[in-house]
Amino acid sequence: MINIQFYSLLRLLLKQEKFELASIGEDETIEQLLQRLQQQISTPFLQKLLDEQGEMFPGTIIMINRRNIHHLEKLETPIQDGDVVALFPPGAGG
Amino acid sequence: MSAVERYNRQILHWGKERQQQLEAATVLIAGIGGLGATVSQLLVRAGIGKLYLVDDGLVDWSDLNRQLLYNETDIGQPKLTIAKQRLQQINKDVTIEVQQKRIDHSFQPPADVSIFADCLDNYPSRFHLEASLGTGSFLIHGGIEGDQGQVLTLQKGKSQSLAEILAGSRQPQGEIPVTGSGAAILSGFMANELFNTIFSQPQLLNRFLIVGLSDLHLAFLEV
Repeated sequence: MINIQFYSLLRLLLKQEKFELASIGEDETIEQLLQRLQQQISTPFLQKLLDEQGEMFPGTIIMINRRNIHHLEKLETPIQDGDVVALFPPGAGG
Repeated sequence: MSAVERYNRQILHWGKERQQQLEAATVLIAGIGGLGATVSQLLVRAGIGKLYLVDDGLVDWSDLNRQLLYNETDIGQPKLTIAKQRLQQINKDVTIEVQQKRIDHSFQPPADVSIFADCLDNYPSRFHLEASLGTGSFLIHGGIEGDQGQVLTLQKGKSQSLAEILAGSRQPQGEIPVTGSGAAILSGFMANELFNTIFSQPQLLNRFLIVGLSDLHLAFLEV
Protein backbone atom coordinates (compact mmCIF):
# COMPACT_ATOMS: atom_id res chain seq x y z
CA MET A 1 0.00 0.00 0.00
CA ILE A 2 1.01 3.62 -0.51
CA ASN A 3 0.20 5.97 2.34
CA ILE A 4 -0.69 9.52 1.26
CA GLN A 5 -0.86 12.12 4.04
CA PHE A 6 -2.49 15.54 3.76
CA TYR A 7 -1.53 18.56 5.86
CA SER A 8 -2.84 22.07 6.49
CA LEU A 9 -5.12 23.44 3.79
CA LEU A 10 -5.25 20.15 1.91
CA ARG A 11 -6.50 18.43 5.05
CA LEU A 12 -9.20 21.07 5.37
CA LEU A 13 -10.15 20.78 1.71
CA LEU A 14 -10.28 16.99 1.60
CA LYS A 15 -11.62 16.58 5.15
CA GLN A 16 -9.31 13.65 5.79
CA GLU A 17 -5.80 13.13 7.11
CA LYS A 18 -4.63 10.34 4.85
CA PHE A 19 -5.57 7.94 2.14
CA GLU A 20 -4.16 4.56 1.20
CA LEU A 21 -3.87 3.32 -2.35
CA ALA A 22 -2.70 -0.08 -3.52
CA SER A 23 0.54 -0.01 -5.48
CA ILE A 24 0.21 -0.81 -9.19
CA GLY A 25 3.89 -1.41 -9.75
CA GLU A 26 7.14 0.47 -10.04
CA ASP A 27 6.29 2.20 -13.30
CA GLU A 28 3.88 4.62 -11.63
CA THR A 29 5.15 8.16 -11.01
CA ILE A 30 4.10 10.48 -8.19
CA GLU A 31 2.10 12.55 -10.69
CA GLN A 32 0.23 9.47 -11.90
CA LEU A 33 -0.38 8.41 -8.32
CA LEU A 34 -1.91 11.78 -7.46
CA GLN A 35 -4.12 11.64 -10.55
CA ARG A 36 -5.26 8.16 -9.53
CA LEU A 37 -5.92 9.45 -6.03
CA GLN A 38 -8.07 12.29 -7.36
CA GLN A 39 -10.23 9.77 -9.20
CA GLN A 40 -10.75 7.87 -5.95
CA ILE A 41 -11.89 10.74 -3.77
CA SER A 42 -14.84 13.02 -4.28
CA THR A 43 -13.05 16.39 -3.96
CA PRO A 44 -10.76 17.62 -6.75
CA PHE A 45 -7.43 18.81 -5.35
CA LEU A 46 -4.85 18.61 -8.14
CA GLN A 47 -5.66 22.16 -9.22
CA LYS A 48 -4.10 23.23 -5.90
CA LEU A 49 -0.83 21.47 -6.75
CA LEU A 50 -0.37 21.70 -10.51
CA ASP A 51 -1.02 24.36 -13.12
CA GLU A 52 -2.70 23.74 -16.48
CA GLN A 53 0.61 22.63 -17.98
CA GLY A 54 1.09 20.10 -15.20
CA GLU A 55 3.88 22.08 -13.54
CA MET A 56 3.99 22.27 -9.75
CA PHE A 57 2.83 25.41 -8.02
CA PRO A 58 5.47 26.67 -5.57
CA GLY A 59 3.14 26.65 -2.56
CA THR A 60 3.05 22.94 -1.74
CA ILE A 61 5.84 20.55 -0.82
CA ILE A 62 5.51 16.95 -1.95
CA MET A 63 7.64 14.56 0.09
CA ILE A 64 8.25 10.86 -0.46
CA ASN A 65 9.67 9.07 2.55
CA ARG A 66 10.78 12.44 4.05
CA ARG A 67 12.50 13.63 0.86
CA ASN A 68 11.25 16.61 -1.12
CA ILE A 69 10.65 15.42 -4.69
CA HIS A 70 12.68 18.40 -5.92
CA HIS A 71 15.72 16.34 -4.88
CA LEU A 72 14.40 13.19 -6.52
CA GLU A 73 12.90 13.15 -10.00
CA LYS A 74 10.23 15.74 -9.27
CA LEU A 75 6.83 14.72 -10.65
CA GLU A 76 8.47 11.85 -12.52
CA THR A 77 9.67 10.24 -9.27
CA PRO A 78 8.62 6.57 -9.27
CA ILE A 79 6.44 5.33 -6.43
CA GLN A 80 6.88 1.96 -4.79
CA ASP A 81 4.82 -0.18 -2.48
CA GLY A 82 5.25 1.00 1.13
CA ASP A 83 6.10 4.60 0.25
CA VAL A 84 4.79 7.41 2.42
CA VAL A 85 3.78 10.52 0.49
CA ALA A 86 3.17 13.83 2.28
CA LEU A 87 1.52 16.90 0.75
CA PHE A 88 2.27 19.99 2.82
CA PRO A 89 1.76 23.67 1.98
CA PRO A 90 3.98 25.49 4.53
CA GLY A 91 3.14 28.90 5.94
CA ALA A 92 5.55 31.49 4.54
CA GLY A 93 5.02 34.43 6.91
CA GLY A 94 6.52 35.25 10.25
CA MET B 1 13.37 40.53 44.91
CA SER B 2 15.20 37.26 44.36
CA ALA B 3 15.23 35.27 41.13
CA VAL B 4 13.50 32.42 42.93
CA GLU B 5 10.69 34.79 43.92
CA ARG B 6 10.41 36.37 40.48
CA TYR B 7 10.35 33.09 38.56
CA ASN B 8 8.53 31.09 41.22
CA ARG B 9 5.60 30.00 39.06
CA GLN B 10 7.77 28.47 36.35
CA ILE B 11 10.33 27.05 38.80
CA LEU B 12 7.41 25.18 40.33
CA HIS B 13 6.95 23.67 36.88
CA TRP B 14 10.50 23.02 35.60
CA GLY B 15 12.67 23.36 38.70
CA LYS B 16 15.68 25.45 39.79
CA GLU B 17 18.21 23.57 37.67
CA ARG B 18 16.40 24.37 34.44
CA GLN B 19 15.94 27.96 35.51
CA GLN B 20 19.71 28.18 35.91
CA GLN B 21 20.16 26.63 32.47
CA LEU B 22 17.81 29.27 31.06
CA GLU B 23 19.68 32.11 32.77
CA ALA B 24 22.93 30.84 31.24
CA ALA B 25 21.46 30.50 27.73
CA THR B 26 21.88 32.73 24.68
CA VAL B 27 19.43 32.74 21.76
CA LEU B 28 19.38 34.73 18.53
CA ILE B 29 15.95 35.70 17.23
CA ALA B 30 15.87 36.58 13.53
CA GLY B 31 12.86 38.73 12.69
CA ILE B 32 11.07 40.71 15.40
CA GLY B 33 7.65 40.78 13.78
CA GLY B 34 4.53 38.67 14.28
CA LEU B 35 6.42 35.71 15.70
CA GLY B 36 9.62 37.30 16.97
CA ALA B 37 7.98 40.08 18.97
CA THR B 38 6.12 37.52 21.08
CA VAL B 39 8.83 34.86 21.17
CA SER B 40 11.35 37.42 22.44
CA GLN B 41 8.94 38.63 25.08
CA LEU B 42 8.27 35.11 26.37
CA LEU B 43 12.01 34.37 26.61
CA VAL B 44 12.71 37.66 28.39
CA ARG B 45 9.85 37.18 30.84
CA ALA B 46 11.16 33.68 31.60
CA GLY B 47 14.61 35.09 32.43
CA ILE B 48 16.81 33.98 29.54
CA GLY B 49 20.42 35.12 29.95
CA LYS B 50 21.09 36.84 26.65
CA LEU B 51 19.20 37.60 23.45
CA TYR B 52 20.38 38.77 20.08
CA LEU B 53 17.67 40.40 17.97
CA VAL B 54 18.09 40.87 14.22
CA ASP B 55 15.66 42.86 12.07
CA ASP B 56 15.73 45.77 9.63
CA GLY B 57 12.09 46.87 9.76
CA LEU B 58 10.22 49.96 10.91
CA VAL B 59 6.97 49.78 12.85
CA ASP B 60 3.98 50.15 10.52
CA TRP B 61 0.26 50.43 11.18
CA SER B 62 -0.32 47.02 9.64
CA ASP B 63 2.01 45.47 12.25
CA LEU B 64 -0.07 46.45 15.25
CA ASN B 65 -2.68 43.68 14.94
CA ARG B 66 -0.13 41.03 15.92
CA GLN B 67 3.28 42.44 16.86
CA LEU B 68 2.74 42.74 20.59
CA LEU B 69 5.81 44.82 21.47
CA TYR B 70 4.69 47.87 19.47
CA ASN B 71 1.96 50.48 19.74
CA GLU B 72 0.64 53.56 17.89
CA THR B 73 3.30 55.91 19.19
CA ASP B 74 6.02 53.69 17.65
CA ILE B 75 4.92 54.08 14.01
CA GLY B 76 7.94 54.78 11.80
CA GLN B 77 10.49 53.85 14.48
CA PRO B 78 12.99 51.01 14.02
CA LYS B 79 11.49 47.86 15.49
CA LEU B 80 14.73 46.92 17.23
CA THR B 81 14.96 50.24 19.08
CA ILE B 82 11.46 49.81 20.46
CA ALA B 83 11.80 46.09 21.05
CA LYS B 84 14.96 46.44 23.12
CA GLN B 85 13.44 49.26 25.15
CA ARG B 86 10.23 47.35 25.91
CA LEU B 87 12.00 44.08 26.62
CA GLN B 88 14.39 45.77 29.05
CA GLN B 89 11.40 47.35 30.80
CA ILE B 90 10.01 43.84 31.23
CA ASN B 91 13.29 42.38 32.53
CA LYS B 92 16.41 44.49 33.01
CA ASP B 93 18.51 41.46 33.95
CA VAL B 94 18.49 40.06 30.41
CA THR B 95 21.35 41.12 28.14
CA ILE B 96 19.96 42.22 24.79
CA GLU B 97 22.10 42.90 21.74
CA VAL B 98 20.53 44.18 18.53
CA GLN B 99 21.67 44.00 14.93
CA GLN B 100 19.80 46.33 12.61
CA LYS B 101 20.19 44.46 9.34
CA ARG B 102 18.50 42.27 6.80
CA ILE B 103 19.74 38.70 6.86
CA ASP B 104 21.41 37.99 3.52
CA HIS B 105 24.43 36.07 2.22
CA SER B 106 26.81 38.28 4.24
CA PHE B 107 25.23 37.51 7.62
CA GLN B 108 27.63 36.20 10.26
CA PRO B 109 26.09 35.00 13.54
CA PRO B 110 27.72 35.96 16.84
CA ALA B 111 30.19 33.38 18.12
CA ASP B 112 28.41 32.78 21.44
CA VAL B 113 25.08 31.52 20.04
CA SER B 114 24.10 27.95 19.21
CA ILE B 115 20.29 28.26 19.28
CA PHE B 116 18.57 30.33 16.63
CA ALA B 117 14.89 31.21 16.21
CA ASP B 118 13.76 31.69 12.61
CA CYS B 119 10.92 34.18 13.00
CA LEU B 120 11.55 35.58 9.53
CA ASP B 121 8.90 36.32 6.93
CA ASN B 122 10.66 35.29 3.74
CA TYR B 123 12.42 32.22 2.39
CA PRO B 124 15.65 33.86 1.10
CA SER B 125 16.49 35.27 4.55
CA ARG B 126 15.58 31.96 6.20
CA PHE B 127 17.95 30.08 3.92
CA HIS B 128 20.73 32.66 4.41
CA LEU B 129 20.33 32.39 8.18
CA GLU B 130 20.54 28.61 8.06
CA ALA B 131 23.56 28.68 5.75
CA SER B 132 25.43 30.92 8.19
CA LEU B 133 25.09 28.56 11.17
CA GLY B 134 27.93 26.48 12.53
CA THR B 135 27.76 22.69 12.68
CA GLY B 136 25.71 21.50 15.62
CA SER B 137 23.69 24.70 15.98
CA PHE B 138 19.96 24.35 16.47
CA LEU B 139 17.50 26.20 14.24
CA ILE B 140 13.92 26.51 15.45
CA HIS B 141 11.89 27.45 12.38
CA GLY B 142 8.45 28.98 12.54
CA GLY B 143 6.07 30.06 9.80
CA ILE B 144 2.48 31.20 9.57
CA GLU B 145 0.09 32.01 6.76
CA GLY B 146 -3.63 32.45 7.16
CA ASP B 147 -5.19 29.32 8.62
CA GLN B 148 -1.97 27.40 9.12
CA GLY B 149 1.46 27.49 10.69
CA GLN B 150 4.37 25.22 11.48
CA VAL B 151 7.31 24.83 13.85
CA LEU B 152 10.35 22.64 13.17
CA THR B 153 13.70 22.11 14.86
CA LEU B 154 16.79 21.22 12.83
CA GLN B 155 20.39 20.66 13.87
CA LYS B 156 22.95 21.93 11.39
CA GLY B 157 24.99 19.11 9.91
CA LYS B 158 22.79 16.35 11.32
CA SER B 159 19.35 17.18 9.97
CA GLN B 160 18.20 17.77 6.43
CA SER B 161 18.52 21.48 5.78
CA LEU B 162 15.51 23.76 5.73
CA ALA B 163 16.51 24.75 2.19
CA GLU B 164 16.33 21.09 1.14
CA ILE B 165 13.04 20.48 2.90
CA LEU B 166 11.36 23.59 1.54
CA ALA B 167 12.92 23.37 -1.93
CA GLY B 168 10.57 24.73 -4.54
CA SER B 169 8.84 27.07 -2.10
CA ARG B 170 8.59 30.60 -3.45
CA GLN B 171 7.58 33.68 -1.57
CA PRO B 172 3.87 34.46 -2.10
CA GLN B 173 3.26 37.70 -3.95
CA GLY B 174 1.89 40.55 -1.88
CA GLU B 175 1.27 40.67 1.83
CA ILE B 176 0.81 37.41 3.73
CA PRO B 177 -2.40 37.07 5.77
CA VAL B 178 -1.68 36.73 9.50
CA THR B 179 -3.97 37.26 12.50
CA GLY B 180 -2.87 38.28 15.98
CA SER B 181 -4.28 35.14 17.56
CA GLY B 182 -2.58 32.91 15.00
CA ALA B 183 0.79 34.60 15.49
CA ALA B 184 0.42 34.30 19.28
CA ILE B 185 -0.37 30.58 19.05
CA LEU B 186 2.60 29.81 16.80
CA SER B 187 4.86 32.05 18.91
CA GLY B 188 3.86 30.08 21.99
CA PHE B 189 4.80 26.81 20.33
CA MET B 190 8.10 28.29 19.16
CA ALA B 191 8.99 29.61 22.62
CA ASN B 192 8.05 26.26 24.15
CA GLU B 193 10.37 24.47 21.73
CA LEU B 194 13.15 27.00 22.43
CA PHE B 195 12.87 26.20 26.14
CA ASN B 196 12.94 22.47 25.30
CA THR B 197 16.05 22.97 23.19
CA ILE B 198 17.80 25.03 25.89
CA PHE B 199 17.05 22.12 28.26
CA SER B 200 18.61 19.73 25.70
CA GLN B 201 15.27 18.07 25.02
CA PRO B 202 13.95 19.41 21.71
CA GLN B 203 10.61 17.80 20.91
CA LEU B 204 10.38 18.84 17.28
CA LEU B 205 13.81 17.76 16.08
CA ASN B 206 13.36 16.65 12.46
CA ARG B 207 9.57 16.80 12.64
CA PHE B 208 7.17 19.58 11.84
CA LEU B 209 4.43 20.48 14.24
CA ILE B 210 1.73 21.64 11.85
CA VAL B 211 -1.04 23.75 13.35
CA GLY B 212 -4.44 24.22 11.72
CA LEU B 213 -5.80 27.43 13.17
CA SER B 214 -9.39 27.30 11.89
CA ASP B 215 -10.21 23.68 12.78
CA LEU B 216 -7.63 23.53 15.61
CA HIS B 217 -5.87 20.41 14.44
CA LEU B 218 -2.28 19.51 15.27
CA ALA B 219 -0.24 17.12 13.18
CA PHE B 220 3.36 15.95 12.95
CA LEU B 221 5.35 15.46 9.77
CA GLU B 222 8.73 13.70 10.04
CA VAL B 223 11.49 15.10 7.84
